[in-house]
Amino acid sequence: MKIRALVLLGTVVAVCLLLLTLQMRGQTAGASDVLAVLTTPVQSALARVNRATVGVWSTYREWKNVRAENHRLRDEAQRLRVEALRVTETVEENQRLRRLLALKESMPLATLSGEIIAREWGGWVRSLTVNRGRADHVTRLTAVIAPDGLIGRVVDVRPGASIVQVLTDPASTVGAHVVRNRTQGIVEGDPRGTIRFKYMARDGSGIQVGDLIVTSGAGGLFPRGIPVGRVRAIDDRGSALFHYAHLAPAVDFARIDEVLLIVGEGAHDVAALFPDPT
Amino acid sequence: MRTFIILAVFGGGIAHATLGQALRIADVAPDIPLIVVVLLALRRGPEFGCGAGFIAGLLQDAASGGLLGVQALTKAIIGFAIGAIGVRLRVSQPLVQVPGLVLLTIAEGLVRFTLLKLFRFPAPFGELMTYVVLPQALYNGFLGAALVLALAWAESMRERTS
Repeated sequence: MKIRALVLLGTVVAVCLLLLTLQMRGQTAGASDVLAVLTTPVQSALARVNRATVGVWSTYREWKNVRAENHRLRDEAQRLRVEALRVTETVEENQRLRRLLALKESMPLATLSGEIIAREWGGWVRSLTVNRGRADHVTRLTAVIAPDGLIGRVVDVRPGASIVQVLTDPASTVGAHVVRNRTQGIVEGDPRGTIRFKYMARDGSGIQVGDLIVTSGAGGLFPRGIPVGRVRAIDDRGSALFHYAHLAPAVDFARIDEVLLIVGEGAHDVAALFPDPT
Repeated sequence: MRTFIILAVFGGGIAHATLGQALRIADVAPDIPLIVVVLLALRRGPEFGCGAGFIAGLLQDAASGGLLGVQALTKAIIGFAIGAIGVRLRVSQPLVQVPGLVLLTIAEGLVRFTLLKLFRFPAPFGELMTYVVLPQALYNGFLGAALVLALAWAESMRERTS
């Protein structure tokens, strides 16, 4: 080993020990100050760089975390939204089916439940297609009801489905009466998609807005007492023989999904099965 | 290369107190100047290692506010020793580098503790070794080995491009 290296080491050791000894005697404040003059600005600059770097890095990491969390939460929200929709739909379907089942069980007539598989909602024809047909012994003119009231009658029977003429069909007519005063009349479909109650002027002088109209059972086609609609407005035609009452249908035809087809004999009064919501 | 050495020695000595904190793991910070001194001593021999150790350690002492000369002395001794015996060691293998740096850090810690004891340093030896020197030695071992590999890779890339 070179002598120079050993001399250097010896010098360094001596300088260090001298520094330490002097420090212990409190005599090297000047040396510390000189070194501090050198180191402090560099330290300050490095600290600034460090802070900036750490700041940028932590901002980047936070941004990344926030972005990842945002993605995760968005996916979660989407999933929950779909799930909530599914649950809501299931709950609604469950409620509908429960009501339908309750009606089916309490009905003193033979009934068949059916599901609506298609709708014809043009101005000329208003009909529903139910997934029950000839194979289920459905016949033409079978009454079709829902837990809220009358929907219409079967006008065409096919092997696996039936076409139901809805009350709002312009060709639909149903014998009905006002519950409160027994005024007889006919419920007709209207091209505008509504229904109206046609009655003789002299019989219906006491009809009021809000009156409930139910099937009269005349003709034996529909059981007696199925709600058809409620009087919304009265069209007084003066001295004309017939007057009209515009009705709000008891059933929301656009939203109905399940129905009951009355396949047995229809000469029954079923009014008690449709409690008046008012 | 000269710029790198200056940056390594001067920057390493001062940066330890500021930038070294960013590398803390479980309250253990590596002794970057020691690693730099060892790497330089291995390449440049005992004189350079001794000088680099003295400057880096002195700056480290000044930057950390401790007794001036403690780390200057320990790092100068480590730099000299490793520069002197390094030529006889096969230091290109991580299996040598990691335990080598661990042992060097422990040695530096022992020297520093002995030196400080001469100046009435109050901390107990056992706790100092358990909670300060040994964790830092392990950290230095792995960080140093990583730095050696990174330098070797950088040099091979430079040779390939030139």
